[in-house]
Amino acid sequence: MASMATAERIGKAAAAPRVAHARVSVAGVLVWALIVTGILAMAVPLVMTAYISFFRDAVVVFPPSGYSSSWYTRIMEFPRFGDALGTSLRIAAMATLGSLALGIPASLALVRYRFIGRGVLNVLLLSPLTVPGVVIGLSVYVAVVETEIATEFPLIGSDIVLVLAHLLITVPWVVRLCVANLVGLDRSIEEAAANLGARPWSVLWRVTLPMMRQGIVAAALFAFIVSFENIEMTLFLIAPGQTTLPISILQYLEYKVDPLVAAVVMVQTLVIASLLLLLDRYVKLSRIV
Amino acid sequence: MSRRPQGLTAGMLIGPATFLVLGALVAPLALLARYSLNRYDRANFMVEALTPENYLRFLDDPFYTGVLWTTLSIALVTTTLCLLLGFPIAYRLARSQSRWKSVGVLLVILPLFIGSTVRALGWMGVLGRGGLVDSVVGAVSPGSSFPLLYTSFAVVVGILSINLPYMVLTLQSVIEGIDSRIEEAADSLGADPSRRFWHVVLPLALPGLATGGVLVFILAMNAYATPLLLGGARFQMMAPMLFREYAVNNNWPFAAAIAFILMITTLTLTAVSSAFVQRRYKAA
Repeated sequence: MASMATAERIGKAAAAPRVAHARVSVAGVLVWALIVTGILAMAVPLVMTAYISFFRDAVVVFPPSGYSSSWYTRIMEFPRFGDALGTSLRIAAMATLGSLALGIPASLALVRYRFIGRGVLNVLLLSPLTVPGVVIGLSVYVAVVETEIATEFPLIGSDIVLVLAHLLITVPWVVRLCVANLVGLDRSIEEAAANLGARPWSVLWRVTLPMMRQGIVAAALFAFIVSFENIEMTLFLIAPGQTTLPISILQYLEYKVDPLVAAVVMVQTLVIASLLLLLDRYVKLSRIV
Repeated sequence: MSRRPQGLTAGMLIGPATFLVLGALVAPLALLARYSLNRYDRANFMVEALTPENYLRFLDDPFYTGVLWTTLSIALVTTTLCLLLGFPIAYRLARSQSRWKSVGVLLVILPLFIGSTVRALGWMGVLGRGGLVDSVVGAVSPGSSFPLLYTSFAVVVGILSINLPYMVLTLQSVIEGIDSRIEEAADSLGADPSRRFWHVVLPLALPGLATGGVLVFILAMNAYATPLLLGGARFQMMAPMLFREYAVNNNWPFAAAIAFILMITTLTLTAVSSAFVQRRYKAA
């Protein structure tokens, strides 16, 4: 059977002059099988979610008794998702801005300056990426509780704590992407600007930062993703009434799967997809990620 | 002469980020380490003590070591699958000259934005009781059912579909960094494609494979939503177990001990694997 399939492939591929050995083609078929499996693994859950969101019945059964788009119009009847989306967007936006403010200067220091302890600081700033999210969540929670006891100031569930914790996981991405970007930039352009009499500040503002534009956009993008979709760490820091979208979806899914939650997820996905497409017109995503 | 102001500028640039990591990660971790040595008491929750009993309890009980073992094997299986499935896709994308390339990259990036719950939802529809697979099997041979949800297979598939895009993106950038003229040279010197792959492309991509592998392994060790939703109540992995100790049992000292066991296991394995790759890379 396998050899027949292979023979077919060879027949189809015969137009390509390079196909000479049957052995090579077997490997080729295998590679294509891996590619198709990989693409299916990534695509199936998303396609399935989109499909379920159009089921008419409130219960997921195959085949469905009919299709309708009414779940999309009914989302507004469930404020828990709307509120959670608001919280998620607010936290992710603040964490993105904050991580750029902290991460870009840090990456400049790491790449453009020589100082004692540079290697250690490089490792330290990237270290939150290697600590499991649940561990960061529990330790931040414990620290916040101790702080609450010491200061008697309610902190759990506040934006400050959430943003601080999200900064911890977004700053490493900004540092990582900006460092990679800076290393690839030609330093002689900055030196030329300095030689022509530009002050350090205006070299930074008019030469270095504009050259870093693609790295900064990529960093902002990644910071936003990492913050927006975080569950593991955020789980420990939310309070009743202050929940992020992924966690409210998770809590709903633990209880049931229905077309409503699929529709919520699709709206979120479509908003993000259109933002990405917009961004792709401005800077080519294939070049920055 | 200009050394000192330079160091000062660098310090001002990197200071705030360093302060954040020290204050929000290092200090809380130290506090958590202290908590892990405390004693748990049903009446008072946490009693100050200096005892290793939380760690010993974990290591003595086959239930907890079994959970650690499950977590490790799931992470290893998904990492292997990610490497196997991610490389061909990344290679095609990296070497593609087509105008559809950016569309392809976009299709890989897009799932990154869509949280793990969404992927879990889709797989629940495919694998669950009354889901797509179950219904098809039921239609082909009536009376039989084939629920795959709440098995380790479902968890592996779920984690794979979340982690694969990370692997593809990491590998794609690494492969793009490999000069394609080196491959052309191998071709023109008479290497067939498989030889070119094993002797030229793979050795050059090895550091990238290690980076991607470590990233994906950590993500899998850390997985929370996927084992919870696709594995069901019986299936236990470290992260959901830690959360349950904290939220349901209120046993913070034991949760802290689990946190350190998880972290030390992950860090040890990633350090060992990168040391291994580095040594092989130097030898090659």
